[in-house]
Amino acid sequence: MQKRKIMHSFLVIALFLSLFSCTKEIDFEQADDFEISPVIESSLVFFDESASSFLANGTEIISIKDSIGIEVFNNDFVIDNLIKADFVFEATNSINKAFQIQVDFINDVDQQVHSFTLQALASTNGSDLLSNHVEVFEGDELEALKNTSKLIFTLSLLPGGTINPTTPGRIKLKSKAIFYLNIGDSI
Amino acid sequence: MIRLTMFFIVASCCFSFSQNKQLLYGFSEIPQSLLLNPGGKVKNDFYFGIPLLSHIHTNVGITGSTVYDLFAKDGVDFNTKLQNAVYGMDSRDFFSVNQQLEIFSGGFSFGSSYEKNQYLSFGLYQELDFITYFPKDLAVLAIEGNQNNINRPFKMSDVSVAAEVISVFHVGYNKKINEKLTFGVRGKIYSSIANINSTKNKGHFTTVNGQNNFYDHIFNLDLEARTSGLASLTDDESDSDSVVKDLTKRAFLGGNLGLGFDIGITRQLNEQWSMDASLLDVGFISHTKDIENYKIKGNYVYEGVNPIFPEIGSGQTAEDYWNEIEENFEDIFEVDTTTAKYTTWRPIKFNASLNYIFGEQEYEDCNCTRTEKSYLNRAGLQFFAMSRPKQPQLALTAYYYRRLFNGLQIKTTYTIDSYSTYNIGLGVSARLGGMNFYVMADNFLQLKNIYNAQSVSLQLGFNYIFNKNEN
Repeated sequence: MQKRKIMHSFLVIALFLSLFSCTKEIDFEQADDFEISPVIESSLVFFDESASSFLANGTEIISIKDSIGIEVFNNDFVIDNLIKADFVFEATNSINKAFQIQVDFINDVDQQVHSFTLQALASTNGSDLLSNHVEVFEGDELEALKNTSKLIFTLSLLPGGTINPTTPGRIKLKSKAIFYLNIGDSI
Repeated sequence: MIRLTMFFIVASCCFSFSQNKQLLYGFSEIPQSLLLNPGGKVKNDFYFGIPLLSHIHTNVGITGSTVYDLFAKDGVDFNTKLQNAVYGMDSRDFFSVNQQLEIFSGGFSFGSSYEKNQYLSFGLYQELDFITYFPKDLAVLAIEGNQNNINRPFKMSDVSVAAEVISVFHVGYNKKINEKLTFGVRGKIYSSIANINSTKNKGHFTTVNGQNNFYDHIFNLDLEARTSGLASLTDDESDSDSVVKDLTKRAFLGGNLGLGFDIGITRQLNEQWSMDASLLDVGFISHTKDIENYKIKGNYVYEGVNPIFPEIGSGQTAEDYWNEIEENFEDIFEVDTTTAKYTTWRPIKFNASLNYIFGEQEYEDCNCTRTEKSYLNRAGLQFFAMSRPKQPQLALTAYYYRRLFNGLQIKTTYTIDSYSTYNIGLGVSARLGGMNFYVMADNFLQLKNIYNAQSVSLQLGFNYIFNKNEN
């Protein structure tokens, strides 16, 4: 009798435990919609030079050219997930002479795939003169960027007054890249 | 990194396990309650656990968001729910797993023939313990990027993970000194089957406004992960047969070994009031075999590239300058692999309870005189604390226990802990002949929608028991 009572009570409790548990409708396939869109900003190139830096043995340098090899744009992650990029430049010129900075984008077979220039206007009164440029990479330009493995920078002094060792002023350049990523179905 | 972050987000939103066994604690009809307090009351003369079935423990829980929050079929955009989950949690929210499986166990009383007041118990169980905190800063960095987070340090200390699979061989001694006092100790030998440990990460990644350029990107990294028992399993030479053989050997004291103890006491305050306390897993494991540690350490501030006048006069070209920057980046992210020995401490657990028994049993069909009064009800408060990498995990439980018949007892609990403030549990222990069966589960209020549960636990087991004064 006692045993049967124990057995019955136990079964009732066990049934109660199992019936109590239930679920509401959920959908794990929603994870396929996963998508995040981080925006990364990174410093790019910079310099800050006095007018006299543009003299070599007393004569004015017409242009200075240099290049860097860069692999980050060919990275699979960037190719798959970068949907837009902005290169933001800010030149500050207090030299009474205009400058031009040209940036060439070169692919791994040494072909130029993209190029742009920005100009820093001459500062006639010695005060800082700001020049801004934003290069937007979307569509074809974005594809060009993703093929870039080398950047060539050319700084040119534009025609106008001459520089001598006492010419006042400086030219500064700051730049950053803004990378718009969309990470989703590639994961 | 993003995959990893995603894993953590999803994992954090799934189930987790904790180690509080509020239903089993003090349930002295069940022999396994001695594992929660070696100084607890013993109610049997002899028992053995049915091998592999004597104690199966899983306890499912979570802090922060639930599976339902994320995957409910409610028409809300998944990414909106994901972001709500990430922003709703902080770096103290955790996902933790604890699972135990008793391989074998047994116990017997001994002492003078007229009063067997001592009890020896022993066994071998396997335990899995895993905790990861929600790496909030890295999740926010993955979702937002640094653009809207200039000056915000993304802290590496948010990455905190510990995982361990061990087997524990134990022998416990329990002595009822007098009617007022029972104490017990249990010695443990731990054999670590596998261990991963990365709980002391430091440093940050911060983007600040720069002097020479728009931004300075500060990389200050000091991250370390230590592992034992894993390197050999991923060897090219190992196959599934050798892995199984290897793991079996480690389960039976062939792994990285450690020592520890449990200690406990029960004090009868008066006829109806008692209190007890226990300290469990005070011990360490010394990892000396099959170690592989990974470390990333370094400082670097990146402000961009000066392509035209790099270090005037040095003759350095922009290419050299850039190569130097690339090397710096490689250095800081380079993973150093070492095989240095290390020691881990077991998570210490503390239990205590205050108990009151009431409701004397009436015997309708017995005129015999009884020397001991027998009570049907018990109620009390229990406290649980456990050491964790960032902060202790605490729980407070109020319970009610009733003996329905001689062979059937139930216990119901109400628990407040890190997971929730309304956790109701129910446990039952039944005995038919010598066979004891127990099952206990908690968080009944949340079982209405199990996916929305913050913690659900289940413990069950079978033992064969010879009781005192019966059979």
